[in-house]
Amino acid sequence: METLGIFEDIETAGRAVDSLVKAGFSESEITSLTSVAYPDGVLVKTDGRTWFRWLALAGGIAGACAGILLAVGTAWVYPVQTGDKPIITYYPTGIVTFELAMLFAMIGTIAGMFLDMGLPPRNKRPYDQSISEGHIGISVSTTSGGESSRANEIMKAAGALWISAEETL
Amino acid sequence: MSEPTPVAKSAGQLNDEMLSSMRPPTWRWHVLAFALGAVVAWGLAAFAYQVMTGMNVTGKNRPVMWGFYITSFVFWVGLSHSGTMVSAILRLSQANWRRPILRAAEAMTVFSITVAGLFPLIHLGRNWVVHYFLPYPNQRGLWPNFRSALLWDVTAITTYLIGSSLFLYLGMLPDLALARDRSDGWRRKLYGALAMGWRGSAHEWMVYHKASTLMAALIIPVAVSVHSIVAWDFAVTVVPGWHSTIFPPYFVIGAITSGVAAVISLMIVIRKAFHLEDYLTPLHFDNMGKLLLVICLLWSYAYFVDVNITWYAHEPIEWEVFSFMTDKYTPLLLLMLFGNSVLPITVLCFKKLRRNIGLMLAVSLLINVCMFIERYLIIVPSLSHKNMPFIWHEYAPSWVEMSIAVAAFAGFALLYALFAKFFPIMAVTDVREFEVRKAEVPLGRAKLPVVAGEE
Repeated sequence: METLGIFEDIETAGRAVDSLVKAGFSESEITSLTSVAYPDGVLVKTDGRTWFRWLALAGGIAGACAGILLAVGTAWVYPVQTGDKPIITYYPTGIVTFELAMLFAMIGTIAGMFLDMGLPPRNKRPYDQSISEGHIGISVSTTSGGESSRANEIMKAAGALWISAEETL
Repeated sequence: MSEPTPVAKSAGQLNDEMLSSMRPPTWRWHVLAFALGAVVAWGLAAFAYQVMTGMNVTGKNRPVMWGFYITSFVFWVGLSHSGTMVSAILRLSQANWRRPILRAAEAMTVFSITVAGLFPLIHLGRNWVVHYFLPYPNQRGLWPNFRSALLWDVTAITTYLIGSSLFLYLGMLPDLALARDRSDGWRRKLYGALAMGWRGSAHEWMVYHKASTLMAALIIPVAVSVHSIVAWDFAVTVVPGWHSTIFPPYFVIGAITSGVAAVISLMIVIRKAFHLEDYLTPLHFDNMGKLLLVICLLWSYAYFVDVNITWYAHEPIEWEVFSFMTDKYTPLLLLMLFGNSVLPITVLCFKKLRRNIGLMLAVSLLINVCMFIERYLIIVPSLSHKNMPFIWHEYAPSWVEMSIAVAAFAGFALLYALFAKFFPIMAVTDVREFEVRKAEVPLGRAKLPVVAGEE
C-alpha cells in the first residue's frame, strides 16, 4: 500500500519526512513526488544506484556487431564489384559500425532508463495533480493497514494538506 | 546564470506563462498555419510535376548534377546541429542559462534533420525505385554499396534523426507529465501515454538526470560524425575544390555556426510570439552571442585555411575552379564573407550590441542566408567548371527547385508551429528547477545569488 501526503512547500514536506524517519519508517520506504528535481537529501535520500547504463553499453555492443554484419557481412554475401576496389574495407566499415553502435546505445539508454524507473507502471500508484502546480508529495510504502494509518497521522500532524492511499501489489 | 525574474512567481504562474503557447489557437495562428500549408502544398505540386515530367524541369545537367537540392540538404543538416550543440554541450557543462533555450533548440534539430532527409529523395530522380536503397535480398543483383559516402549519409542521418528525437522526447518527459495534469479529453490521454506514468519520484528524477547526461554525451559525437560524413560526400571525390582534408571540420564548424544563429532567430520569434520576455532575457542573447562570436571566428579560420592551401599550392585545375568561383560569383562571395565573418565578428564583440535583440535577429538571419550561399558556392562552381573544359556548363536553379526549397522552409516553420501548439516550447521543469534552487547569501557587504546543486 502507498500512502501519499500532499504538502504546501518544501519545508513542511521536509519536516514530515523527518517525523516519519523518527517514527521508525526507513528512508527506502519513503519517497518524494515533485514537479522539479531537488538535490538528493533535500527531502529523501536515494541510494544513487542505477543499472540502465549497462543496457546502454549492451546496446552499443549490439549496434557495433550489427554495423559489422551490415557493412562486412552483407558485402561479403552480396559483393558489388566497383572497379578493382576491395569488397570489404576498413573506413566504411568503421563508419557504419560507429553509427549503428551509437544508435543502439542511445536506444538502449532510453529503454534502460524506463526499465530502471519502472515505467510505465504495472499497478496504479497514488498521485495528485496539484504536484504539478508546486505542491510536494511524500509517499510512504507500507505493508499493513496499521502502518498506513500511522503514516497518515504523522503526515497530518506535520501539516499535510490532504492524504490519499492506493493499494499496490 | 539567468537574470532573476523581478517578482517571485508561484509555480502555477510559471506554468501558465511558459505553457502559454499551448492555449487554444487564435485566428492569427490559423492564418499562419494556412499560409505555410499553402506554400508546402505548392512545393508538393512542384515535386509531383518533377516526378511526372522528369528531372529536365530542374536546372541540373551535365556536369552540374548536384544543385539546389543538395545545397538545401547540406544547409538543413547544418541547421540540425543547433539542438545538439546548444542543448547537449550546455547541459554537460551545467550552464544554468541554457534552461529556457533547450526545448527550442532540440525541436529545431529534429525538424531540421527531417527536412534534410527529404532532399536526397527529392533529388533522386526516379523516386519510384527508392526501395533499391533498402538492404534486402533481391533478383536485381543489387545491394547498397556501403563503401559509398552516400550510404554513410543514410546511416548517419537515420541515426541522428532517431537519436535527436529520443533526446527531445527525453527532455520533454517531465513537461509531458505537467501537460497531462493540466489537460483533459484526448490531450490528457495523449500526454498521459507519452509521459509513461511519470510521477516525479526521487528515483525517477535521479535516473532521469543520469540518462540526460548520458544521452547528451552520446549525441555529441553523432552530431560531429553526421556533418563529417556529409563533408565526405564531397571530400572523398576527386572534384577540384572538394578534395580537401579540411572539409569535415570546416563543415562541422559551419553547421554549428548556422545552427547557433538559427537558435537565436527562433528564440527571438518565440519570445515575441508567446510573450516570454521574462524567460528569454538579454542575458541569454548575450551568452548566445558570445558562443556565436567564437564559432564565427572558427569558421573564418577554417575558410582561410581552405583558401590558403588552394592559393599557395596553385595546382592548375584547383586554382582555375577557385578563380572561376571568385570571378563569376563575386557578389555572392563577398556577401558570404561579410555575413559570416566581418559583420558577426565586429558586432558580437560588444556586449551592448549582443544584448540588442533586433540587431541579433538581423545578424543571425544574415548568417543563415550566407551559410546557404556558402554551401551553394562549394557545390555549384566546382561542378560547373571541372577538369574537362568541353563540358563546362553553367547552372541556374529552376522554378521547381526554388519552389521546393521555399516549401522546405515553410514545412519546417509549419512543423515548428504545430509542435509549439501541442507541446511545451519551453523546458518548464528545467526553468522551474533553477528558480527553486537559487537563493541569496550574504557575503561581506553584499548579498550574492547562489544556486544549490549536487556535488
